[in-house]
Amino acid sequence: MQSFSLSSLVPLLTFLVSFVVASAAPAADYHEQLNLKPLPQNSLLASFNFRSNTSLPEFEAHNFRFFPRSLGQILQHAGTRELHLRFSLGRWDAETWGARPWDGTKEGGTGVELWAWLEAESDDEVDHKWLTLTNALSGLFCASLNFIDSTRTTRPVMSFRPEGDHPNTTMANMHLLHGVLPREVVCTENLTPFLKLLPCKGKAGISSLLDGHKLFDASWQSMAIDVKPVCPAGEECVLQIEQTIDMVLDIERSKRPRDNPIPRPPPSHELKCNTTKPYHADDTCFPTDSLNAQEWNLNQIFGKPMLGNCPLTNPKTPPVCIQAPHTRDVFTSMGVEELTEPGNENQRCYLLPSNDEEFHLSLPFMPRDGDRPKTDADEFVQPATPLLYAERSLTGHGQEHGGVQAILTNPSPDAEVEFVYMESLPWFMRIYLHTLKARISHRTGSDAGQTLRDDDDVIKEIYYRPFLDRQRGTQLEIRMKIPPGSTVFMAYDFEKTILRYTEYPPDANRGFDVAAAVITILPSNSTTTTTARRTSNLRTTSMLLNLPTPDFSMPYNVIIFTSTCIALAFGGLYNILVRRFVGRDEGPEVSLVKLRRRLQEAVQKVKARAMERLGAAGKEAKKVEGKSD
Amino acid sequence: MPNVQSFSSLRARSYVFRLPLFTRLMVSAIVVLWLVGIQSAWDLRKWGCLDTERDELFHRTDAYRMNTFPLIHLNLLHALLNLLALTPLLERFESEYGTLTSAAMFFGPLTTIPAIAYVVLERVIFRVNTPVMGASMWVFLLLSVEAMRTYKINPYFIIGTVQVPTWTTPLVMAFVTAALIPSTSFLGHLCGICTGYLFGLGYLKFTAPPEKILRWIEGKLNLLGRLPHYPRRSLWAAARSCRRRPPYISLLLIVVGVAWLFMLPLNDYSRRTYISENALLPGQVHTYFGGSDQNVLRAYRHEVGALENKTNTEVNDKLEHMFRSMGLKVGRQNYTYTTSGNTVAGENVYAILQAPRGDATEAIVLVAAWRNVKGEFNRNGLAVALALTRYFKRWSLWSKDIILVVPPDSRAGTQAWVDAYHDSHDSRRVADLPIKSGALQGALAIDYPQEERFEGVHIVYDGINGQLPNLDLINSVTNIASGQMGMGSSIQHMFHHNDQYRDRLTCMLRGMVNQGLGHAVGPHSSFIPYHVDAITIQPVGQGWHDEMGLGRLVEGTFRSLNNLLEHLHQSFFFYLLMQKERFVSIGTYLPSAMLIAANFTITAIALWVKTGYAPKTKETKDVKEKKEGTDSKKVDQKTEETPAAVERELYLPLSLVTGCQFLGFVPLFVFNHAPASLLAPLFVVVTLLSLVLPHALSFFLVTTYKPTHQQYQLITSFFLLLLGMFLSTLATLNFSLAFLVGLLATPLTFVRPFPKLPAAGYAYSALLSVLNPGVVVLSAAVAATTLQGSSGLGLGVVGVTPWEAVQKTGSSRRSIRLNRVAPPHLGANLRMPSL
Repeated sequence: MQSFSLSSLVPLLTFLVSFVVASAAPAADYHEQLNLKPLPQNSLLASFNFRSNTSLPEFEAHNFRFFPRSLGQILQHAGTRELHLRFSLGRWDAETWGARPWDGTKEGGTGVELWAWLEAESDDEVDHKWLTLTNALSGLFCASLNFIDSTRTTRPVMSFRPEGDHPNTTMANMHLLHGVLPREVVCTENLTPFLKLLPCKGKAGISSLLDGHKLFDASWQSMAIDVKPVCPAGEECVLQIEQTIDMVLDIERSKRPRDNPIPRPPPSHELKCNTTKPYHADDTCFPTDSLNAQEWNLNQIFGKPMLGNCPLTNPKTPPVCIQAPHTRDVFTSMGVEELTEPGNENQRCYLLPSNDEEFHLSLPFMPRDGDRPKTDADEFVQPATPLLYAERSLTGHGQEHGGVQAILTNPSPDAEVEFVYMESLPWFMRIYLHTLKARISHRTGSDAGQTLRDDDDVIKEIYYRPFLDRQRGTQLEIRMKIPPGSTVFMAYDFEKTILRYTEYPPDANRGFDVAAAVITILPSNSTTTTTARRTSNLRTTSMLLNLPTPDFSMPYNVIIFTSTCIALAFGGLYNILVRRFVGRDEGPEVSLVKLRRRLQEAVQKVKARAMERLGAAGKEAKKVEGKSD
Repeated sequence: MPNVQSFSSLRARSYVFRLPLFTRLMVSAIVVLWLVGIQSAWDLRKWGCLDTERDELFHRTDAYRMNTFPLIHLNLLHALLNLLALTPLLERFESEYGTLTSAAMFFGPLTTIPAIAYVVLERVIFRVNTPVMGASMWVFLLLSVEAMRTYKINPYFIIGTVQVPTWTTPLVMAFVTAALIPSTSFLGHLCGICTGYLFGLGYLKFTAPPEKILRWIEGKLNLLGRLPHYPRRSLWAAARSCRRRPPYISLLLIVVGVAWLFMLPLNDYSRRTYISENALLPGQVHTYFGGSDQNVLRAYRHEVGALENKTNTEVNDKLEHMFRSMGLKVGRQNYTYTTSGNTVAGENVYAILQAPRGDATEAIVLVAAWRNVKGEFNRNGLAVALALTRYFKRWSLWSKDIILVVPPDSRAGTQAWVDAYHDSHDSRRVADLPIKSGALQGALAIDYPQEERFEGVHIVYDGINGQLPNLDLINSVTNIASGQMGMGSSIQHMFHHNDQYRDRLTCMLRGMVNQGLGHAVGPHSSFIPYHVDAITIQPVGQGWHDEMGLGRLVEGTFRSLNNLLEHLHQSFFFYLLMQKERFVSIGTYLPSAMLIAANFTITAIALWVKTGYAPKTKETKDVKEKKEGTDSKKVDQKTEETPAAVERELYLPLSLVTGCQFLGFVPLFVFNHAPASLLAPLFVVVTLLSLVLPHALSFFLVTTYKPTHQQYQLITSFFLLLLGMFLSTLATLNFSLAFLVGLLATPLTFVRPFPKLPAAGYAYSALLSVLNPGVVVLSAAVAATTLQGSSGLGLGVVGVTPWEAVQKTGSSRRSIRLNRVAPPHLGANLRMPSL
């Protein structure tokens, strides 16, 4: 937190500074703030920040006030010293929206990402505690965090640093574990437990604006939970929980009423046309409306009004701030006090009256023509250029080999950027480290536009932990330094593994999600740059890896068909071939045959008796014989 | 037979050859009746089945059914399974009771009693009518006779502690059969079993003809001598005689193979299409593209129309501006291809509509080429694509990115784009893509150059090298077009398909020719080799549907594709479509090409076997008088019954075959590197060469090496062996090409010297020349030209189409072409020295 007080230029941070200083006095307190920032192309970034803390001794004594008890107990049980949990969806469009909120430190890759520092004596104990932690969090947040098993867990070496203030005694026994579930779809069932951790639980204050429908309809959203110990200088250490939700709303889409969200074509008289076109007519319209600033208000875009202040919050912290040019009109409800920082006209904050009235905020339509035409500069604060652009994609085709290419661009004209690029790849993606190549292309300077191969200069350090089949994935951390105005193309090849029949997930033909690469931009050491940068983060998009997939119905078809064939044909034939045959007279006789034999015997007896009695009466005997035949 | 503990093939064979007479007759009757049942003109099954519905069943006219029904089967599998089960049982019965008794019993009581019982049960008790056929009734009857006999010796078998009477086995089997195999008549089997029990218990013995009479008949007619119980002439002997007549087997295979193909359009062999992937749900969503979007579309059409005569770069500048104003990410890509001395250069422009909540893992592609494959300006197609993309941007439900690609032409541009997307491009000619999205899940191309409203859509689906998109994609579009939009859909330019045999066959053959040629027929073709399922939609005809209808069709299809969780994999990738809703899958059509390929292999093997023996007197005598170098063999003749084994002289045949195979690289190289203007004359030259070369080669061979008869046979054998091998491999990849090439090559099987009839030899070599692929393609092109009435198109067909096909189909086709270029004619020309 010390670095906060150093940062004076980033406007967003100035507020936080003031409010960190203000909040230092009580041991347990709670703050919340919503930062609205209109972005180009009719987007709006809404950053919700909720922060509460409890002093460490009280925490140890199970005395939770604002700190959520359910989470606190889990942390105690699993020996967690610091926890970071992220639920993210969508992608941040850095080209249009510029630098990320919170320097990217409060976001994760698509899906769910979890990293934590656990205190344990041995590796086995760490694994056990990690298992406890993931399973407990899985239940708490309704997410499949329990699927973070050994194959998905890595122990980053260069990428993550503890953010809290840990005493040196515990540092030695702290282990960092990191796990990602790129396929986990973040949705409303994750928001509900998130809101339950808040003191006002979505009933009042800025959290009353949070609604699953709007949040998950956002173009990009990230929910973060950070728990860390903070020791302000000269004061008691506190355990701080910070919950953040960042979302980029498409204003046009958010304004659609909830009961009729279908984007039906507007009536033709509402269509905004370019009337200067020669073919313009009643039935022909070249649209112009798409990028003009639209009017909006809080009710519309969040789908419900903000229900006053949360009574538990620090009354000195303004709950809502908007970052827009001072020329942009902003209307609020009655009784709201507007605060502006002297050196920063683009930031306006609003202190709400203590009653429970709804808070309204609206930005009117900005006419681009008329007496006072407005421009883009009136509409939004030009977003800051990010330190680094990163893009990653799969290359190649086919079922055997593939490649990954990461394009990393340093847009700055004068500053170098140094960062750690971390990939945690699944084990079935067998990477060939020797194929790792970094090509650099300069956009400025004497060799502009030339593509050079210059591995040594770009890649400073590689940490590589190879995969073990079915046990752990690949962990690859690369420390790189990109000169100003240059683009690095980093590529490596991999081989696809054929999985066992049962190892395929449901919907196997979809492919396998590969987690986003985590880029940690290191603070620059040089004193020449005016900004002393904090560590900032960046994540690429995740990838979809297609592995060779069998036809799962085939084995069943084959088994059923062959079984039937064998049962019918082979069974009968085999029976006949191996059966033991006996003569007819050897076996027992049944019914008719027996009957006939008895009859025969009886006849024989009668015959014999007759023979005896009548002597040689040949004719009769012959008759009897004929009968018996 | 008794006490055979282990199965040996020798014993099994001898078992088969010692089958007694009646069994044999029955088996062959079943086989013959099955073969008769294949044709469709006369419904044998209806004629012969035990149809309980008919009232005259017990009358004179229909009573025959009581005896015919066990001999008739539904299909091959039915017949085969029944045969396998029946043969051993019947054989035992016959060897026990004698041929005549068996005949009398099986044409009498043992068939009629269960039949009558069945009919009575069906009609009187159950009051239903289920016609039955098949020998399974006999199988169960005989099984229960056997079971009764077993019961007498061994009344129980013990499972655990339960004693199960052995006589129940047939009942259990009947239950299992009824449960496992669909559409079996449980009641019929039960009737058979009951009769069997009765017979086994001996209650039906009285129906058997008296022994004395039988003996008398046998004695009088000397049946034992004339009609032996175990016939002297075994099947093996017949097979041995067949060995001497492989040409007949080959001919049979060819005939069956071709007949097979012509049977495919019948209802019994083709199937109705169905949606296999449940996630697609085609036509289940409302489409909202309409209303004021039409105003926008009209404006876009004006914009696109104004760009018609601009350069590629100007067009792309304008399009890029339009895309950016819609809020899309835009990329441009330059490409330069040099083929046949022509340089094809251009610049693709494409826009990515990022899925609002997605993260670039998957994407669907919409292609609207500036010009279609015929070079027509795709004005409406592009306008529809632009308006659609603008409309799509409003939806938040997309799970996949949507990429709109606008290449300047339909072949090279898309190829460059797809290659670069998958990083398999040569970066010197084709630029990298500046932005990319995720894995492509499907692609749809719109080809709508016509200005008027349309009647229906034409779906083009052939990919490069005869690869096809997943059938589910075609079915979805057909389903949405006809079911939801009420517009017709057609395939293979069959716009008025009446779903009769003739139209189905035409449609299938057109599809086969397209598949065999294997060239790109639309912008979608380039996607298919990358396992991206793609089709082109062309509005055709004059009707009442407008561009918005096409837009809604595309919207519906995209919504379906958007639903996909997995890559399209459920349905068929190998199929022949004979109507938009009727197809044959690979299991049904493949035997056709395989049989034709097998005919070459069989002849090749036969020739190889033949070359292992010294030739027989009669055949070789005439030849030898005229040929030299064979005097030494004259010694062993006349008296020889078994031909003597001889050494094969392999050097000449092997080197000749290898040489000729590799000679095929020459035309391949020439055609791949010659400039386009020279292609047509080169083609004629190569065709002429391929006509002349075999004769020249054969003359050269005969005068220089004086090959023996054995060597001729070996040469033919090797060539046919290779041909068979290549064709059967190719058939699994590109059925149509294998079938067409195989069909053209069939005369090669029957190539042999005609020493006595020089005229026949000439005629044969003339036939081979006519069937030379070059000649066939040339004449097809000429025919097409005359039909089209325009010479320019004809030249195009001659000059470009076949060679594109040759180039693209690559090595498999090359190998086959090699076979055809020179050597196969050799056999026919071998008689030349004798003249």
